[in-house]
Amino acid sequence: MRSPSPLSSVDDPPPQPVPGQTAVLRSPRCGTTGFSSRRVALIGHNTLREAVRQKLLLFLGMLGLALVVSSQWFREFDFGASELKFLADCGFGAMAFFGSSLVIAATAQLFFSEIENRTALTLLAKPVWRAEFILGKFAGIVALAGIFCALLTTLLAAIIWVRETEIMRLVPEAFPGGRAAHYSNLFFAGALQWLKLSVLGALMTLVASFAQTQLFTVATGFFVVVICHLQHLAQAAYSRGAGTFGSVVAAPLTLIFPDFQVFTIADSLAATDAPAWFDLVRICGYGGGYMVVACALAAWSFRHREI
Amino acid sequence: MAEGEGSAAALGRPHGAIGRYLALLICVVCLGLAGALLRQLVNPIESGTRRQEPALRTVATAGPGVALALLGGFRALVADAVWIRLYVTWEKRDLPATDSAIRFVSTIDPRPVYFWLNGARIMAYDFAAWRIEAEGGDQRLAQAGQDLIVREQGRRALGHLERALAFHPASADLWIERANIELNRIQDVAAAAESYRRAAQVPRAPYYAARLHAETLRRLGRHGEALDWLVKLHPTLPADESAARDVVLARIRDLERLTGAPMEQVYRPPPP
Repeated sequence: MRSPSPLSSVDDPPPQPVPGQTAVLRSPRCGTTGFSSRRVALIGHNTLREAVRQKLLLFLGMLGLALVVSSQWFREFDFGASELKFLADCGFGAMAFFGSSLVIAATAQLFFSEIENRTALTLLAKPVWRAEFILGKFAGIVALAGIFCALLTTLLAAIIWVRETEIMRLVPEAFPGGRAAHYSNLFFAGALQWLKLSVLGALMTLVASFAQTQLFTVATGFFVVVICHLQHLAQAAYSRGAGTFGSVVAAPLTLIFPDFQVFTIADSLAATDAPAWFDLVRICGYGGGYMVVACALAAWSFRHREI
Repeated sequence: MAEGEGSAAALGRPHGAIGRYLALLICVVCLGLAGALLRQLVNPIESGTRRQEPALRTVATAGPGVALALLGGFRALVADAVWIRLYVTWEKRDLPATDSAIRFVSTIDPRPVYFWLNGARIMAYDFAAWRIEAEGGDQRLAQAGQDLIVREQGRRALGHLERALAFHPASADLWIERANIELNRIQDVAAAAESYRRAAQVPRAPYYAARLHAETLRRLGRHGEALDWLVKLHPTLPADESAARDVVLARIRDLERLTGAPMEQVYRPPPP
């Protein structure tokens, strides 16, 4: 027996069949029931709750946390970078790698579990827009990525703070001007990682909206991550005109997929590397634009999907 | 069949395979158009990042493991792993593999000066020794041949340091290493003097860089310049032992004797 949908609390009346017509329940459209951000929030909340229950997602989250914590033992293998920089690199690496895996797995799992368990049918039989369903799922994934990034960033900052304090005690002459690590950079970097994962979540929602299987969604998700990170290469190949074929392939790729490297501009502890506010606003606009377009396309695609 | 299920089956307005591909095409086109507009926002940021990140240009040739790790952001870890691998090839005296590893590690992570510095030292000193040994050693290879190899390797190391200085223009260690190679491998004392001067002018540079600049000027026979440099340097030195105020003063006196400075122009150190 299934637990009652959290949307049962939404007291919108179900649409009434018109006498004389086939009794077909349709998702509400403009003019029948208005778009409700409350329903989006409820679906998002439910998505997040489901995500927290998933063992695989918890496992990925724990792996990320474990890697950040254990990075202080990895520093024994460090040769080049300063110790604090090395710790920060490990933390951001864990955030990017496990965060991407988490978002891909969570989107595919939570989207397809709704379809396979038929809860999507129950949900969409109620006066719930398909766009609300899509946005709710996306909101849940964004919240999940936000919790993951906040947790890892806080943990990383704590680890770096503790280690910096130890080093300051051991070699005070190396810190003539007080603390060397610029902690606001760390939190900017964490926020940008979250933005990046949110863009990935939007793209994954778009893929899931027309994909037929969970496996296809996950595989495509990893391809998307690789392509988005390799944007620089595609652009370099395009700008250098590395062969006609390369240019023909690279040019559209650079337009379709977002460049994830721009979200790494704050991945540094040095005060001199602090990103300019204007750059941060540009990146937020860039990420936000992709999210809006991808979610709109996902909603449109899902409206035409057979469940 | 449950009513909700049967009704819900009619919820969507499914379209066939052609319709699905058309929908996919529309999505791709819309994303492309959005990307073309949004790209304008981040173009300046992207070009700046590309200039600073050579790893992004070579990631495709790095092999799947390294590429994935770099994509994941574990740059420092990957660079360290490559450096450990470099030790293995260095012990085997495998010159091509060590050379590739040196270039690769500084490409993956150009931020640590350590990789650049030690890479240049290996190129200048170890590679030259290996090549001479491979040619038959000191006994078989004539001195001219040995010098040729030493200079050639020195120039390669200088090229490596040139790339390093593009990333770390304010690194005194890199300037000093450059000067050392120019002095000891290329035998270009004038170039070494200039590099020591550049090193000495970097904030928080070691004190010996300035002394070495004066020493190389003295070797070039430019005693007056060396004296002027040390006279300007001495009052700025702290009483710290590493600053070696007494050594600098002794050299000033030597240079005054060499230049035959008149008594009234003899340097008088400020009272401590």
